[in-house]
Parts: sequence; C-alpha cells; structure tokens
Amino acid sequence: MAKKAMKIKAKEKDGVVKVKAMFKSLMADKEEAEKKNISVEYIAQIVGKANDKVVFEASTSGFMSEDPLMKFEFTGAKKGDSLEFELTMHDGKKVTGKKKIK
Amino acid sequence: MERRNFLTMGVVAAAAVLVPGSLQAVNFRETKPKAWEAEKSSEAIKEMFGEEVFSGPDKLTAVTDKIKMTAPKLAENGGSIPIRLRSDLDIETIAFFQDANPRAATVVFTVPEGQKVDYSFRVKMRQTAYVTVVAKTKDGKLHTLNKEIDVSIGGCGG
Repeated sequence: MAKKAMKIKAKEKDGVVKVKAMFKSLMADKEEAEKKNISVEYIAQIVGKANDKVVFEASTSGFMSEDPLMKFEFTGAKKGDSLEFELTMHDGKKVTGKKKIK
Repeated sequence: MERRNFLTMGVVAAAAVLVPGSLQAVNFRETKPKAWEAEKSSEAIKEMFGEEVFSGPDKLTAVTDKIKMTAPKLAENGGSIPIRLRSDLDIETIAFFQDANPRAATVVFTVPEGQKVDYSFRVKMRQTAYVTVVAKTKDGKLHTLNKEIDVSIGGCGG
C-alpha cells in the first residue's frame, strides 16, 4: 500500500497507556461500494499487541466510519516499549504497523 | 505403523485446539460468519451470543446501567458518529449493533485479560435507529443497553 496504513499515538502515564490510532481504510461495504462505484474495502479485524501480549482486539465491519479512529487504554507496558497493530483486511491481507510508546 | 501415525495426528490436533483461545486472538468474522450477515440487531445478537436478549427496540432483557455508552442524541453527520463505551465489569466480549444499515453487526471487541473497557470509535449510520450494546462478562452473563440515535444526514454513501 502506497499510503500509510495507520497512524498511532501512544502515551504512558502512571502505568496506563493511552492510545489513539487511526487506520486508513474507506470502510466501504457491498452497498456503499456499489453506489460510489469503488471496490469493497474494509478492515475485518484489528489486533494490538505490546510485549507480545494482546492488548486490544476488535472485529469490525464496513459500518465503522471511514478511516476508523480508535481510542483506548491499556496497562502492562511502559515508555519505550513498542505497540504493534495488525490489521486484517476484508480479503485476508494483513497490514502491520508499529510505534514506540512515549 | 499406521497406528503410530494416527496417534501422532491426534496429538497434533489436540495441541492445535488447545493453543488458541488463551493467546491467539479470536476473529469473530471467521468464527461467527452468520452474525455478520444478519440484517436485524436481534438476529445478529442471537447468532453472536447464542441467546435471545433483544427482540425489538423496546424489548430488551438483561439491561444494565453498569456499562456507559456515550453517544450523541442527535448526530448531524451520519458518516461519523462518535461512540464511547466504558465499563468496570469484568467483560470478555463487548459488541455494538445498529439497525440503520444493511447489516447489523458493527464492531465486536474482545477484551484482553486484565484490561479495562474504555473504547472510543466512530460508526456510520444511514438513518435514525436504535443502537444496541451487548456485553458478555467472564461469568457468561449478558448485559445489554440501547439508545436511539437521530441521524439528520445519513452516512454510508447515502
């Protein structure tokens, strides 16, 4: 993918990591794709991992808004650790992204 | 010789079954494909959780006040409605459904062990409709709540 697939911001404070993540996707389901004459494209699953532990997990459908923005918190990681996201697209393709926790 | 092969296969199969679940993520799109195709929230919830807790907008069982949903009463832009879900319950799975779009299931979060529930996300809604949140706690109980969201301009390409 030419464009960047995701933007991640993660900040740790008092043991709690606050994460804001934006995933680039049109999130177009069947009906919308037909109307706008584009191809179907959506994220089917988002998995976030820190220190090899799953900290975030969501199965999504095309009814999330375009470029879905997720905000959540988790514990169990500190500054300097990296947070990794793995997206599974509708066709099974995987996209990964990484960011250091600040 | 054949018996030995058979035994090895059995062990491998058992290991493959045991490993996911605790560590491996659950992809609800693969495990419950029917739930994602359902048109109505009630059907989707039934497929997803195997229980009927929602039979109509006003007929909701197991309503809880322990889950907080922050959503606008009136959404000006149906293409991007901010939703926030919070709870202190020991939740395993929390799912969000709406009746506005061709299929009801929108997002299902699997809460990893020991993490708090505080998720913000945005959804599309084509028209004014009820949204329903169903959460399953670790003890297997279901908790639900719903809300009507007014959409003035429909999203979803409408």
